[in-house]
Amino acid sequence: MDDFKKLARIYKNITFIFLILNLLIIFGSLYIESHFFNLSFYFSLALSGLMSVLFLTIIYIVLPKLFLKPLEILWYTILKLNPDSNSYFPKVDQDKLKVGKELVGNLIGQIYKIAIVANQDLMKVEQQKTDLSSEFLATRIPLPIFVLDNQETVKFVNKYGATYLGLEITDILGKNIYSILDLAFSSDDTLDNWLKEVKNKTAISIKSWERVKLNLQNNHPTLYFDMVAYYNLGNSQGYSLILTLFDHTKQYSEDDQAISFVAIAIHELRTPLTLLKGYIEVFSEELKDNLTPELSSFMEKMKATNDQLNLFVNNILNVARIDSDQMELKLTHQSWNSILSEAIDNISLRAKVRGINFETDIEQNLPEVGVDRISIQEVIYNLLDNAIKYSKDSKRIIIKSFLNKEGYVETTIQDFGRGIPENIMGKLFTKFYRDYHNRSQVGGTGLGLYISKAIIDAHQGNIWVKSKQNEGSTFGFTVLPFNLLSKDQKDLVNDEIVQNAHGWINNHSYYRR
Amino acid sequence: MEQEQTNNKKILVIEDEHFIGELYTRALNKNGYTVKVIADGIEALKECQTDRYDLILLDLMIPNMTGFEILNKLKDPSTTSPVHAKIIITTNLEQRDEIKKEIEKKADAYLIKANLTPNELVDFLSQVK
Repeated sequence: MDDFKKLARIYKNITFIFLILNLLIIFGSLYIESHFFNLSFYFSLALSGLMSVLFLTIIYIVLPKLFLKPLEILWYTILKLNPDSNSYFPKVDQDKLKVGKELVGNLIGQIYKIAIVANQDLMKVEQQKTDLSSEFLATRIPLPIFVLDNQETVKFVNKYGATYLGLEITDILGKNIYSILDLAFSSDDTLDNWLKEVKNKTAISIKSWERVKLNLQNNHPTLYFDMVAYYNLGNSQGYSLILTLFDHTKQYSEDDQAISFVAIAIHELRTPLTLLKGYIEVFSEELKDNLTPELSSFMEKMKATNDQLNLFVNNILNVARIDSDQMELKLTHQSWNSILSEAIDNISLRAKVRGINFETDIEQNLPEVGVDRISIQEVIYNLLDNAIKYSKDSKRIIIKSFLNKEGYVETTIQDFGRGIPENIMGKLFTKFYRDYHNRSQVGGTGLGLYISKAIIDAHQGNIWVKSKQNEGSTFGFTVLPFNLLSKDQKDLVNDEIVQNAHGWINNHSYYRR
Repeated sequence: MEQEQTNNKKILVIEDEHFIGELYTRALNKNGYTVKVIADGIEALKECQTDRYDLILLDLMIPNMTGFEILNKLKDPSTTSPVHAKIIITTNLEQRDEIKKEIEKKADAYLIKANLTPNELVDFLSQVK
């Protein structure tokens, strides 16, 4: 019943919004017409009425389409239930199913149960030996459906399911679902985790996921869909789970193309950055002995500015990756001391041109860590960049790194600048969030902390902040020593690739001739 | 005057942005490399196949044939003209995951041009063994 209530609530909310919008249109246009165009009252009234009618007509067309779609899918399903029916059934466009996914999933589950019972009766009556599952109602539902037993073995798949995966039904039946569907979820709220939870607790449960990604073999394009799972422990046939997929490949892969646009834009930005970097180097090399102190400090500032722009460009790319779940880490064995000192070196010029000193207190011989060198250095750049930006008149930044009590490698960056007001501390790690008061005084986009958190989360570390207004802030984060990485993470480790701050070098030899 | 060193290494720079080619040539020449720059994909592939080079810097976005296609042709197991040069992908374009994985299998190194100065590039190349 919850799904009905949810649908009803969505309906109420939408109609309420439309009502308000309509009132706004009427009164707004009345106001504009009488104040700015000096129209007569009755003429204004008629014009506003006309606009309102136009608006209502649009709603009249859109609303039924939206809310009748779940019903339409079920209606076709039920029509097809009639074995004598020879009617033509138009293909249902699942992309248009915007509301009521859970409801449809739930109802399909219920109908499926009824169909099992009906088929049992049919079997008794007709004593048929053929596999009746091919006659199940689910065969006719125009959505990919997988029915599993409590070992997650596929007991039934409809033809839409097989076609969707580009496989034959026989390729799928009897296989473990995870060997057929290599599902990728946007969080650790996965099918597997949910099943573990419901198996111990409940008899019946329903759950939906959005933007599930499925990589197929043989150069098939990646599929994207929303998925509803219906779990029913008490099913006498041992069918304990029904998965229904709602394809959104077109829509979600357009999001993928959005990242390609970002990639092109970044390419265009990086070309002049590369050149500027090169020319600055040539000039500082050739002129280093002939520049006045002022000009040589300008040269350093120019280089620091170029680096800052480069960091920003990389940040945009990272945000696009994070938002489309394409943040891929390449974990390797790394010396934390070398990563940290290299990152500090690379950003020290930016501190120097502002007269800021880095004071470092880094334990020697920290254990090897398992990290993505380039990503984790971006975290350090962003935290140091923030510390520099928010240092105000203070000229000290303290960087510490040590093995903490939990056995993690902890790094802290402390500045003595303006600090962060308490009321915004909780929102710091969200995208585009910046302190309102600081906005006018300090440049920046508020992307750095969002990216840092995503990267640290992906490394299974923690990131936090302590701050007092006008006294400064300390940002800290942990990374895991290599031997504490989970097995899954260790599987990601690729020791053939040697990373450094500028790229990677392949250690492999077997492609060489 | 800078002392020009020589290390007898021949390097082919496949790069269609003329100014970048110019900057790289300058830094590489100073460090003793013999440099040739080519901006066109098809011409670049032919030049690679002469197998006269120790290192190839390969930009991915070049006219007439992409760097990725060149990489695939050079590393095609059935090729009759294997190339011994180390192939270093130099790009400013972010790749899709599938392409990244292919590049990892086939190239010897990978770098984002905007992250390196020409001198840092020379240092990087000295680490490619």
